[in-house]
Amino acid sequence: MDQPRVDEDRELVARAQAGEAAAFDELVVKYSPRLYGLVYNMTSNHEDTNDLLQDVFSKAYKAIRGFRGKSSFYTWIHSIAVNMTLNFLKKRGRRYQLSLDDVDAGVQNDKVFLEATATSSPVREADLSELQKRLNEAMMKLSDEHRAVVTMFHIQGMPHAEISKILRVSEGTVRSRLFYANRQLQNYLDEFRKNPVT
Amino acid sequence: MDEFDDKEITKLLRLKRYEQPPPGYFENFLHEFHRRQRDEFLRQPLWRICVDRAHDFMLQLSLARLTSYPAAVTAVLVCAAVVSLKLYQTPEPTNVAVQDRQILATPANPDGEWTLASPVATRVFSTRSLHNSNPSAQTHRTATTPRYVLDSVPVSYETTFKF
Repeated sequence: MDQPRVDEDRELVARAQAGEAAAFDELVVKYSPRLYGLVYNMTSNHEDTNDLLQDVFSKAYKAIRGFRGKSSFYTWIHSIAVNMTLNFLKKRGRRYQLSLDDVDAGVQNDKVFLEATATSSPVREADLSELQKRLNEAMMKLSDEHRAVVTMFHIQGMPHAEISKILRVSEGTVRSRLFYANRQLQNYLDEFRKNPVT
Repeated sequence: MDEFDDKEITKLLRLKRYEQPPPGYFENFLHEFHRRQRDEFLRQPLWRICVDRAHDFMLQLSLARLTSYPAAVTAVLVCAAVVSLKLYQTPEPTNVAVQDRQILATPANPDGEWTLASPVATRVFSTRSLHNSNPSAQTHRTATTPRYVLDSVPVSYETTFKF
């Protein structure tokens, strides 16, 4: 996934810090789809994602004057989103609702989608939507921290270094969490392949 | 039987990028954000709004750069300390001054003689009245009632020794 241009953000942030609401609106428009994906894949619930995302931007709006630019705005806003989501998940506990939306119709022509579905693999053999459902269930079985890392790395396409900055852990920790999470997901999906009815 | 490897997992997870919110969600998101901001603003107490406005005003003046908050707080504390010290160090008016204001108004030595005696002591223990301008009257104590001003607290409660 493309990283946003830092300079562009810096100018928008400076204008927002000077009290220009329109500049902050631009940041909201720019980052809401990306942050939606992050929060949604951590919560698996649209309503929760919507509320959290509103709270994230509200918090960012209040705190933007204190933003000193030590990290990029991209990292800063992602840190707020991840921390707020993790706190929310701790409060919510293990209760969750799988309200995953259908894969967007426009995706049928997407290169990545076609590539994924055209391979001769378990993906092809199994029903893709069922597999996706199982994958989501497997994701929800991961711990919140592991799910956060998987979301940022695999789904959002962030590099290890960026994830380590956002989570304020070492890159080694990020890699080890990823490794563990991949093994977990692999086990769940293998189980599904062996026992597709359950 | 094929097993899921990291590559397959990655491909499957990448598909999750295409899980989108309902159509029109992002168009309404900003409006919803503004609405929530307004609601939150209206729920704030008046004093907080005033503080925020004052803060914004200070920021516009760029005073924040000149004076940091700790410096401002320190300055206020120092001023408060100086004022309180001044207040505590101011001598309280004595009872003497209140009781014998007329005498205090006169010079300590009306004859113009230079003296090293404390003006206060001179004034307190002066037995002359201003109204008594007749020199002959000075020998007659009965003519004017002498005025002694004594401390309200005795010097000592100890019994005097008699030999």
